[in-house]
Amino acid sequence: MTLPRPLTGVRVLDFTWVRAGPWATRWLGAFGAEIIKIEWPENLDILRSNRMVIPPGVEPGPNAPGQFADTNVNKRGITLNVRTPKGLEIARRLAAISDIVMENFSSRVMQKWGLGYEDLQKLRPDIIYVSMAGFGHTGRNHHYTTMGPSAQALSGQTFLSGLPGKPPAGWGWSYLDDTGGMYGVMGALTALRHRNATGQGQHVDLSQMTMGITLTGAAFLDRTANGRRARREGYPPGNRTAWPGTPPVNNYRGPTVAPHNAYRTQGGGYNDWCVIACFSDQEWQNLVGVMGSPAWATDARFHTLQGRIQHQEALDEGIEQWTQTLAKYALVEKCQAAGVRAMAVQSPEDRVEHDPQLRARGFYTELEHPLLGWYKIQGIPFKLSKTPAEISRPAPLIGQHTREVLTELLGLGLQDIRDGYADGTFWPARLPLYPYIEETLV
Amino acid sequence: MSAPQPGTSPALPGPLHGLRVLELADEKGQFCGKLMADLGADVIKIEPPGGQHTRLVGPFLDDIPHRERSLSFWHYNTSKRGITLNLEHPDGQSLLRRLVPTTDILLETYPPGYLPALGLGYDALSSLNPRLIMCSLTPFGQTGPWRDFLSADLLQLAAGGQMSCCGYDPQDVPDAPPIAPGGGNAWHIGSHFAYMAILAAVYYRDMTGEGQYIDASIHEACALTTEAAGTTYIYTGKVVQRHTGRAASLDQSEPTQFQTQDGLWVNTTRTGFNLTPARLQRLATMLDQYGLAQDLLDEKYQNPATIQANLQHIGEVLEHFFAHVPQEDAWRAGQENGLPWGGVRSLDEIIHDEHLRDRDFFTEVEHPELGRRFIYPGGATIYNGSPWRISRRAPLIGEHNEEIFCGELGIQKAELILLAESGMI
Repeated sequence: MTLPRPLTGVRVLDFTWVRAGPWATRWLGAFGAEIIKIEWPENLDILRSNRMVIPPGVEPGPNAPGQFADTNVNKRGITLNVRTPKGLEIARRLAAISDIVMENFSSRVMQKWGLGYEDLQKLRPDIIYVSMAGFGHTGRNHHYTTMGPSAQALSGQTFLSGLPGKPPAGWGWSYLDDTGGMYGVMGALTALRHRNATGQGQHVDLSQMTMGITLTGAAFLDRTANGRRARREGYPPGNRTAWPGTPPVNNYRGPTVAPHNAYRTQGGGYNDWCVIACFSDQEWQNLVGVMGSPAWATDARFHTLQGRIQHQEALDEGIEQWTQTLAKYALVEKCQAAGVRAMAVQSPEDRVEHDPQLRARGFYTELEHPLLGWYKIQGIPFKLSKTPAEISRPAPLIGQHTREVLTELLGLGLQDIRDGYADGTFWPARLPLYPYIEETLV
Repeated sequence: MSAPQPGTSPALPGPLHGLRVLELADEKGQFCGKLMADLGADVIKIEPPGGQHTRLVGPFLDDIPHRERSLSFWHYNTSKRGITLNLEHPDGQSLLRRLVPTTDILLETYPPGYLPALGLGYDALSSLNPRLIMCSLTPFGQTGPWRDFLSADLLQLAAGGQMSCCGYDPQDVPDAPPIAPGGGNAWHIGSHFAYMAILAAVYYRDMTGEGQYIDASIHEACALTTEAAGTTYIYTGKVVQRHTGRAASLDQSEPTQFQTQDGLWVNTTRTGFNLTPARLQRLATMLDQYGLAQDLLDEKYQNPATIQANLQHIGEVLEHFFAHVPQEDAWRAGQENGLPWGGVRSLDEIIHDEHLRDRDFFTEVEHPELGRRFIYPGGATIYNGSPWRISRRAPLIGEHNEEIFCGELGIQKAELILLAESGMI
């Protein structure tokens, strides 16, 4: 028996593109909502033009990038030129039968097209409208735009990553696009709950940059309540909780402890690293035991937390001499068995191929993409006992479901569909049609 | 307590008004509780007698360590009520059971198996309230070889792949380690996914009346949060390399972080990204206002091929521009000309941002016991029909024991004293 999915019956009209918005609707789709992704080939989604994540031997093109394929599972896709009166009318008819509209354009784009909240709310009074602009739709700089990295920079997220006295290391990916997606889903689900309770929809105005600031929490209060300068010697302290030779004040990650660092492991490869953290004297003694109680580690200066923080350079050096004698997963097993907090630094390959936990949990599922074939898809991080989320449908080829969706939802006949292709509503006149689209026109 | 957000009425309840949450969560899940509490849910945080260990995490107000002065605890526990309960004693367990019938959501972060061993697992609690949604948010989930592993923010960021993506180019820091960004973000990432799962279950319950159990894994949440690093491996078999202040990638990629005249940094996109002749013209005109356009206004750059052939030169012109202009001026000049640039700001700069003021982001919260008010971060999102708000500062230890045990469960005050004296609350 297949179990029901929690959002069955919810329809989402998805104008989002790039990463944050599509990452949001991916999850609504995993919960069983019906996602209608609207695209236009002349304003191609950047993820469709990414040339880095294409399998070897596959010709580049809008259907080839793996990153698009993973980000856009669980959706059907249509192509529609909303900048023509006819296309706009179709978009408005779709909005009128949708529960949720999601978009992540700059702050006035949808309004300019006649698809702003005020417009759509007239068509469907209880519509939930989630906008995901960089600076939001409200405030004097609403017209500023962000990509993940600039939102991270402006929100203080970049600043809190790195070694003291060095340039910011920042985040090696668009963390706030991933997390922006989370806030998009959370906004939609929260507004759905509100609609269930009150019958009312609303405009949910997310600001990606602002969101990053809310994730600096304790540091924010240290600045506003204590007046402590964020720019100060020894901060940020890398992987440590305090940098040697500077006052051990506040890393905003947890308690100030040592050891708390990354260490090289056997092999010396690019990702042959582990991390170890000891949160108490007992945990440190456990580590000393696992290391075989070497003479240096039994020195009295390491017996107390204060001593370990004061002599952190020597401490880390000693630990690393030991970690380099073990392969990272063997080290983790040894440490964890002895009550020591240790973990391997896992590369993407490690997660997919070597991580026993992800494997046991069935984290990666396989799905057949119509062009790329069978590939692993990044899975679901939670198990709902009665209504599990699922990865059930591969990402749409561009324009793959135009006829299917418009016939099913708006009752358009074959002639209407053909007319829409002929007059440039469903596909730009200057671009050739893909065979899979032509097949839908007969 | 906090001002209403623009376009909202202070009288409107938050969107989660009417939902009650029991939070048995420490650093791993208290952020999830805060997200729900600030959006109007009645979140009751249950701490062990004497207070949870999260109260011992700094920074502390005025640098005076005290269980009621942890700014970390304050931030992560806004808008909640707080009670204390000894779950390891039958009397404490019985009090928890008495709260379950009026509870919509129970969020817990104990090690797998801990609550079931006390008779407080989902099966036992849902028999008292079939509408109960119970979410266990744990480092590695309820099953699998790592389920009992010890963890920490640093460990999760190692396992999840964050560290393998963050660090330095060798020319900036030779032999640099992978870097775990600060701020406790493993717990944030787990809390976001848990919130999603819980709200999806709430929707299903609204439709059917049925509750359910959710097993959420912080490790899996983190493993999903490295953008294209995972898919790059899945689709190409190759592993990304770390760079200074920009996305880990298979190629070397050009720097996107530039130092400004005042010694700070600005983050830009890749120089060639979306750089059409029209955009280059606009950029050059802006640079020219500073007298720093060099040759970019030349007619020859009105050709896309010339632009692509001269990306290194264009990058050098930008580098020179940044070196002569302070951070704030530089990134705003870019933004006013349609470029998604961002200064690498610290909170020293952020607290003066007037755009945030327009969004009523800076949220004043009263601490009546101290006779002081403090500025907290506001909401990421403006809910125009049901405002986000901080309804009260974090609870003091056991602050709402009387209100909830006596007021709601009908326990006599004399009995409350016995419960306190015997270490039950």
